[in-house]
This record gives sequence, structure tokens and C-alpha cells, in this order.
Amino acid sequence: MKLVQIAGYLGSGKTTLIIALAKMMAGPGLKTAVIVNDAGEVPVDGRVMEEFGLTVKDIGGGCICCQVAGNMIRTLESLAKGPRPDLIFVEPTGMAVPKTIRENVLPGAEKNGIVMGPTIVLLDATRAEKLLTYDTLKRLVSTQLRDADIIALSKADRVTPETLEKTHYAAAQINPAAAVLELSTHSGKGLVELAGAVRERVVAA
Amino acid sequence: MKDFIRIGENPVHGEIHGYGVACLVRRRTPIPTAELRSFAASLMKTISSGCLAQGAKDIGHIKAYIEHDNGFLIADTVGDPEDLTIEGKEGKAATTFRIVVNSVVFGLSHEVVGRVTDDALKQVTEEYGLSREPENHDSGNSMRGNENAGDSE
Repeated sequence: MKLVQIAGYLGSGKTTLIIALAKMMAGPGLKTAVIVNDAGEVPVDGRVMEEFGLTVKDIGGGCICCQVAGNMIRTLESLAKGPRPDLIFVEPTGMAVPKTIRENVLPGAEKNGIVMGPTIVLLDATRAEKLLTYDTLKRLVSTQLRDADIIALSKADRVTPETLEKTHYAAAQINPAAAVLELSTHSGKGLVELAGAVRERVVAA
Repeated sequence: MKDFIRIGENPVHGEIHGYGVACLVRRRTPIPTAELRSFAASLMKTISSGCLAQGAKDIGHIKAYIEHDNGFLIADTVGDPEDLTIEGKEGKAATTFRIVVNSVVFGLSHEVVGRVTDDALKQVTEEYGLSREPENHDSGNSMRGNENAGDSE
């Protein structure tokens, strides 16, 4: 089972990206499941994904990076014992710290047959300037970007080339090791590259 | 040196609060797709602008999932109340809908986010001539949270 985390601040397009990637990658040889940790009290994202035909495990009651980390482990164990999907997308809340989730999963990864895929962190290009400069948010968003293997500048079709260039530069400054790509689930820009990374890339523990 | 969050701490958890509500709404005359979209847009704008008026530092997201017998709509907004996304699988006009609203906001208490969301839901359902009622828990739905949003109309 390959675990791919799709992280990023609230409203950055995580659910939409997972649906788009799952549709693009669907095929007879690939069983996909999604673990969704919704920030709201009544889950919505999981229901939306189910409407698009995805197998979804919904985790509520707090953030999987800290408050309900144990539920995440139990969910992975249950997937390992049961349907054993080839690919598991994890959608944490928009407040989660990706590295913490990864570190929670790693100790049981071998036992559960989990291979770590890339951590993809979305940065909403339409709000990047605010998110990277405003109050406590800048610490959270910077931390999320720092933890990324791939940074996807989402909603890239809705900003000017100048804004996109500035956002690209800012993201690369925070995490020079990450690949940074422009993403628009609306136009399809960046989806093929991300699907390729999800399929092929394995990240060392 | 960037200012990052250390392992074991997350100051944002104390500042971002989510509130969820689920209810059934009905109207005697069927609601066509265009009107349902308009309802969803109005709901998003009313919640979002209400939160901003109360001093929200950022709208994390406001989402609504509206389902009926032969289709569903998903509406969401982040930040700008005018900047909405509405999509889904739209079916024929219907009279009964299940609505889930999720509001996640930076800089307002849970109580304020809840009050603004509930007030907006009440206001907009009334504007569209809809009556609300609590969900039937025997219906097989597995949603959690505040499922008692219906009033006694």
C-alpha cells in the first residue's frame, strides 16, 4: 500500500485534487482508498468523494496530526487487514502539519506493508500572499510547505503570471528541496505530472 | 530563518474553529436546479460575510453539501464571499433536501462561528420558503455533529 499525503491550508483544493487524481489514475489494476480528516464537525469532504465513487474512510473528532493520531493508525491497520488498496490518499485537515502525520505513520509502516509516497502540499495561489504573511497563519503555511516533497500552486489559472511567479519564488525560498509546480484542476494543468509522481515516487523513511 | 511550527505544538489549532450542522429542508413546490444553486450561493455568502462582519481574520472554508433524491450540489467559498464554487450532479427539481454546512474560520470562537452559521441557515431557508427539520437518524446517514438545527416550523 502506498500512502500519499495531499496536504495544505483550508480551501486550497485538496478534495478536488484527490478526486481529479483518482479519476485520472483509475484502472483495473489500481485499488484506491482515501482517508479524510475533515476540519468541520460534520464531515463533508468524505461524502463528496463518495459521490465520485471513491472508497473513503472518514476520521473526525480532531486533527490527525495530533488530536486523533491513533485513529489514523487504526484506520491504516484496518485497511491493511481488509481491502489492502494499492494507493491510499490521506487528506488531513487544513490545519495539520504533514511531517507529524508522516512520523505517526512511519513506526508501523513496515508491519502494515505501507510504502511512503510523496507528500504533496497545496498552496492556494489566489491567497498565497496573505497566507505567507498574515499572523499565525504564516507559521502554519510555511511549516506545511517545508514538509512537502512537492508543492503544487493550486488555482494557478486564476492569478496573473506575475503573481504565480512571485508565489513560486516564495514557495521555493521556504522549501528549496521541493519540486514546485503549477496546478489547475479546472484546466488540468499539472495533473499529469502529479499523477506520475504519485504513481512512481517513493520517499525514503 | 523561517518561523516554523515545532513538532508537538500547533498554535493554529487554538485559533481556527469549525462548526457543522446538518438538517433536512422541504418546500411544497419543487425547487429547480437554478434556484437551488442560487440558494447555495446565498447561503455561502451570508455565512462568509457574517463571519467577516464578526471580525474573522480569515475564512478557512465554508462548505455546503446539498443532496436530494436524484442529485447533489457542493458549494464552497474561501475568503472573498463573492468568490464561490458550486458544482455537483444536478438532477430534476425536488422538494426535500438534506443539507450539511461546514464553517471553518480563523479568528472567531466556536460559539460565534456556530451562531453565524445557524442564523444564516435560518435566514436563507426562510427567504427561499423552505422549512427545516432535524435529520431522521434512522435514515442510514452516518453524519456526526450538530444535527439538531431544525426549528419547529
